[in-house]
Amino acid sequence: MRGQDDRQAYDRGTSLFSPDGRLYQVEYAREAVKRGGASVGIRATDGVVLVAERRIRSSLLEARSIEKLHKIDEHNGVASAGHVADARQLVEEARQTAQIEQLSYDQPITPEQLTGDVSEHVQEYTQAGHTRPFGAALLVGGYVEGTPQLFETDPSGTSYEWQATAIGGNSDEIEEELESEYDPEISLDAASSLAVSVLTEEEEDDPETVAVAVIDDDGYRTLDREAIEDLL
Amino acid sequence: METETGNDVTVQKTGTTTVGLVTAEGVVLAADRRASLGGRFVSNKQAVKIEQIHPTAAVTLSGSVGAGQAFIRQLRSTANLYEARRGEPMNMDALARTAGRLLRGTRSMPVLGGVDEEGPRVFQIDPAGGVLEDTYTASGSGTQLATGALERLYEEDLSLAEGASVATQAVESAIERDTASGNGITVARITSEDVMIDIDSTSEEVH
Repeated sequence: MRGQDDRQAYDRGTSLFSPDGRLYQVEYAREAVKRGGASVGIRATDGVVLVAERRIRSSLLEARSIEKLHKIDEHNGVASAGHVADARQLVEEARQTAQIEQLSYDQPITPEQLTGDVSEHVQEYTQAGHTRPFGAALLVGGYVEGTPQLFETDPSGTSYEWQATAIGGNSDEIEEELESEYDPEISLDAASSLAVSVLTEEEEDDPETVAVAVIDDDGYRTLDREAIEDLL
Repeated sequence: METETGNDVTVQKTGTTTVGLVTAEGVVLAADRRASLGGRFVSNKQAVKIEQIHPTAAVTLSGSVGAGQAFIRQLRSTANLYEARRGEPMNMDALARTAGRLLRGTRSMPVLGGVDEEGPRVFQIDPAGGVLEDTYTASGSGTQLATGALERLYEEDLSLAEGASVATQAVESAIERDTASGNGITVARITSEDVMIDIDSTSEEVH
């Protein structure tokens, strides 16, 4: 088998490696994440901010129905990119995992543990038969016992910890911008402004095009239209 | 509080007197602090029998301590999941229905109190899953003594402070004569804003 045939033979199943050690379906799922709007997460000294781009394709669409920021529990939130329907399944998994941790151990789940558990779930879908990988990536931000943390999980089920990062369309360019702008001593307010600015175009000033959530000592909350206008 | 002997194992019970009542400004819950074994031994003198389970709701524990604690954990978890999924807290009807479902077959008989868009609400939940809404109610071994006091003292449209005084007096009445109730009083004040639990309420406001 050569060329096009070669690839077709090895991307039929998720659990099939190509001779050069690649899982094509997982790589395609990563591409699916890049097709959607971007989400940005930044860890500040006193909390974490998550910002998601909203692509409003019609003036008739209710912007609030574009769900890309999700409360997981009092201490953790998720920003998603890629297939929204796939992301919703992962968010539900995360919410149940968070409550099980509290019920089992009488302690809030950390973003690290939460991401680990969701990643295990995602990984199963890259190895089991009759499934396809999740076409979504998540940023998990949380503030537990005075510690802000930001994690990412991708369609392969790999997790990473970040100071600041982006997932979804245009994420490489956004990440470059974050690399030059990020300061480890940044405050949550400054991080919120930075996250919104890297996600919006220069002249953009419509607060409907982004959604913002912050997680700090007071827990998870989304910002209203006025607060977002201030950030713009 | 009482003790309970089942399968030859004596488990801790709250014995208990807990009350809940509706005021013009919110809900008041009150409970004594004694846990007992077999109704004849005070196994704990600092039990806290009121727990917040929702931004504007709390329950009292009465009956088996273990069943009550398990019930509270499940109810709190369900309320948290509901709010995370839907972006708004459970209303009291949903919370009461869930409480009734979770209690079926247990040995716990809590009072549920909270405030939602319909205002301050109090529910008596029983171990068969029965859910009855009321303006004032009591549970535990001191029920009859506390209810007698409530019949005499309760009025409609009390302030929150007056309600706290009535609830405290009702529990105090039971503590005087019920051997399974005692060791101080916990009072919770619930408004549309939040839940304030005074773990060891002094009885200054009673007299």
